[in-house]
Amino acid sequence: MKRKIVEFLLILLFYLIQITFGNAISIGNIAPNLLIILPVLFGFFNGKNEGMYLGFVSGMFYDLFSSSLFGFSALIFVYVGYLSGMFYKEYEKVEILIPLAIVIISDFAYEFMMCIGMFLLHGRLNMGYFISRFIMPEVVYTAIVTLVIYYPSMYLDLWLNKEWGKKRKGMLDEGSI
Amino acid sequence: MRKKVSSFLTSKYILIILTVVCILFIGISFFTDRLVAPLRNAVSMIVVPLQKGMNNMGLWVYDEVSTLQEISVVLDENKNLKNQVDNLTEENNQLKQESYELSRLRELYKLDEMYPGYTKVGARVIGTTSDNWSSSFRIDKGSDDGIRVDMNVIASGGLVGIISEVGTNYSVVKTITEDNNAVSGMLIDTNDNCIVQGDIELMESGVIHLSHFKSGITVRNGDKIVTSNISDKYLQGILIGYAKDVTLDSNNLTQSGYLVPAVDFNNLQEVLIITETKK
Repeated sequence: MKRKIVEFLLILLFYLIQITFGNAISIGNIAPNLLIILPVLFGFFNGKNEGMYLGFVSGMFYDLFSSSLFGFSALIFVYVGYLSGMFYKEYEKVEILIPLAIVIISDFAYEFMMCIGMFLLHGRLNMGYFISRFIMPEVVYTAIVTLVIYYPSMYLDLWLNKEWGKKRKGMLDEGSI
Repeated sequence: MRKKVSSFLTSKYILIILTVVCILFIGISFFTDRLVAPLRNAVSMIVVPLQKGMNNMGLWVYDEVSTLQEISVVLDENKNLKNQVDNLTEENNQLKQESYELSRLRELYKLDEMYPGYTKVGARVIGTTSDNWSSSFRIDKGSDDGIRVDMNVIASGGLVGIISEVGTNYSVVKTITEDNNAVSGMLIDTNDNCIVQGDIELMESGVIHLSHFKSGITVRNGDKIVTSNISDKYLQGILIGYAKDVTLDSNNLTQSGYLVPAVDFNNLQEVLIITETKK
């Protein structure tokens, strides 16, 4: 429970950075998608359940002030967390390329779906422009941010495990059985 | 007992439950805003004060950095500005004379002043939307400060946009450069109507679409475009921007081109909200 609260606060912090400093940290009007990183990382560290929890909460936050329908990002982010949790058992935590690849794929898929809903269905068929000008820069920027925050969040996760260790491991908190 | 709960709560079931919840949310928010509005309000109760604090911190850092950078620039600028002040005072005197003349003439014709001074409220920009697709932003005044949906927002003399959503302590401003957002405008001198429309694909060039001029009229580069008298949401006579490259369309009936907005949308920090709505 304490773990979940710390993670919630982490989401809140990322969300605040995203919507307050979004303009300041953006390059060429493109800000990174900070909130999609968290479910990927924590799903990778702790399994599907944790990934889904973070995906749901951060997706809800993301949806509050985005231009899509409420609940859409939450849905995608839950699946992203689940996807990332599938690699929990298979790889060591220091294996940075796996979560990086998941971030890249899922951010691209998410923005692409947004793009379909907002432009393609309205008859704006200039997909090449949208992908090269909006989606790819965002994916690259998000990947770079992931590289930067990967090790800090890994140590945060280790610290959380040490502090409030999983005493009931194997009962409630087990991700992939 | 615990074992039973845990054996039921496997990841797959949780995934299914969360999926259903999310789809439910999507379905509801497709039809009504009633579910989301209280949630937004509750979250912004906590988030907006934090955001204000972070914003002030950011502004402070920005100010410190830019003061250090700009001292040499400022010295140069000072010289230029002094020259400009001289020119402007001269121009101002001239304009004053003209405006006295104008007011005398208006009294003479018993005309009401065309654009009465609207009452305005200042607000600070505190945040953007979470995605990159829209250029809406949030300001720190809400329904508690008397802000309502459809109030016009201006900054540095030009039209910024319109209030699209209001919470208790925040509101969302939809800018005129937003994709698919159309404003009815007119040429300031001849009152010829036109449509100003935002386009995300023009974002880099800093201009937006200007269309539906009648074919017979002449529009020169730099002509002022203001909000029109027939718009049902925008108050009349607010400067939107300046016309650019208006040419005849291929249908030979209308003319269209580009508009350079009067407001610099990249560096908005404070805006003014006109506390009157058109109807």
